[in-house]
Amino acid sequence: MPLSKLGFRRLQIIDKCLRSNMYKYPNMEFLIKAIEKRLLLDVSIETIQKDIAYMKMPSPNGFDAPIYYDRARRGYAYSDPSYVLAGVPLTDHDYNTIIESVAIIQAIAGSRIGDKFTSAMEKVLSITLEEFPNSPKSYPILQTMNPQQSRGFEHFDIFYDACQNKKPVSVIHYSYTKRRFSSLTIHPFMIKEFENKWYVLGYSEKHDEIRTFGFDRIYSPIALKKPYRYTDRKIIDEKTQEYYGVYPIPNQAKQQIVIRANALATNYFEANPIHTSQRLEKNENGSSTIYFHLIPTLELSRLFLSYGRHVRTLEPQWLSSFINKL
Amino acid sequence: MKNKITSLLFELNVPLNINENPLLLRIIVSQDATRIDFGYSATSRYIKGGWIRMSPEAYIQLDGSAKKYSLKEADGITLAPDRINFKSTKDWQFFTLYFEPIPLKDAILNIIEEENPSPNDFNYYGIKLCMAEGVEFYDHD
Repeated sequence: MPLSKLGFRRLQIIDKCLRSNMYKYPNMEFLIKAIEKRLLLDVSIETIQKDIAYMKMPSPNGFDAPIYYDRARRGYAYSDPSYVLAGVPLTDHDYNTIIESVAIIQAIAGSRIGDKFTSAMEKVLSITLEEFPNSPKSYPILQTMNPQQSRGFEHFDIFYDACQNKKPVSVIHYSYTKRRFSSLTIHPFMIKEFENKWYVLGYSEKHDEIRTFGFDRIYSPIALKKPYRYTDRKIIDEKTQEYYGVYPIPNQAKQQIVIRANALATNYFEANPIHTSQRLEKNENGSSTIYFHLIPTLELSRLFLSYGRHVRTLEPQWLSSFINKL
Repeated sequence: MKNKITSLLFELNVPLNINENPLLLRIIVSQDATRIDFGYSATSRYIKGGWIRMSPEAYIQLDGSAKKYSLKEADGITLAPDRINFKSTKDWQFFTLYFEPIPLKDAILNIIEEENPSPNDFNYYGIKLCMAEGVEFYDHD
């Protein structure tokens, strides 16, 4: 008979007690107290006796646990100290790392992905019979910008599956700039997050080129059973490494971009480089000339603009004019 | 043995009139229903973009047949007399109509909202569906 989650937790606690170096040969009373303290409910001697018998049963019905009762010390122990109840043993460090990972993913990715990850980790920990902490009431010590869930984020799963399993997707797209709907097929290869907005990158049959589509402008994506058009790895690398942001300015190749930053803005660029190509030449007064070698994007233009008088675009001239018109 | 195809998706992008409003975006033909996706962009012709609604009497008819495939469900648009009022001339609305299933064979569709239509009614004529151009898809439900 399959063991309940509560049953697993009891076994987990018994296992920990038997492996404890602090209190060796725990007796029945000790085990009951340990379980009652952790699970906050009463357990009987019979329940613990059944649990121990269950642990001792041969696999696959039981866990092959080499538990014996030491009459001299009046307590239980493992005859094989290397025995672990199930799966791979986790050290405290392993366990804490998993719990920290879950907290970080919850904070960075938001509740949807975080919850999926938590659920997966609960399964991993249940295999190792480690207990997942029930601490939703604890005050978070890690906080990232966590905006309200944006429109279109519900498409995450279908696009993730499409990227992973190479499925073209039929979507309804609404262009904010053209104010026009269209139905089109994309062959997605990547999901990208930038400034808390989500995008899917893929080959668009209609445009006959790689395009980026904001989740918020997509309606009703449907995965298609038709051949998937693969995108060259070089193009994918270009999309991921040669941009700052998401939307490239049309018809612009990778090029050198030069800005002048005053001392205040220099501090920010120095502390938070925005691209791997960033090279900063600092002047005596703290201002700097900063060089980039990348494909110019709308987001890069907006970033420079956001610094106001603290940043001036020197090269190329067309980008300076473009930013002034934004 | 090849499985029998039971549903197909067609990307169409057919405008209702010169203003392209609403645009008939996609048709999904299946054994359960005929699904039609539309996109409407509000215009400055009407105060605050005006409103839209769908007649509950709307139906599909195939060229050469008198049979009417009636509207079963609407998603993203209200059925008359209720209506969706836009808040600005820049609003937009994606909506889907579900009709009774049509046969999975080449056909020319007419989508009729009103039999004696005004220019504001959403009537579409002569939508060609060639089964060879349809695409099978994964059912996520």
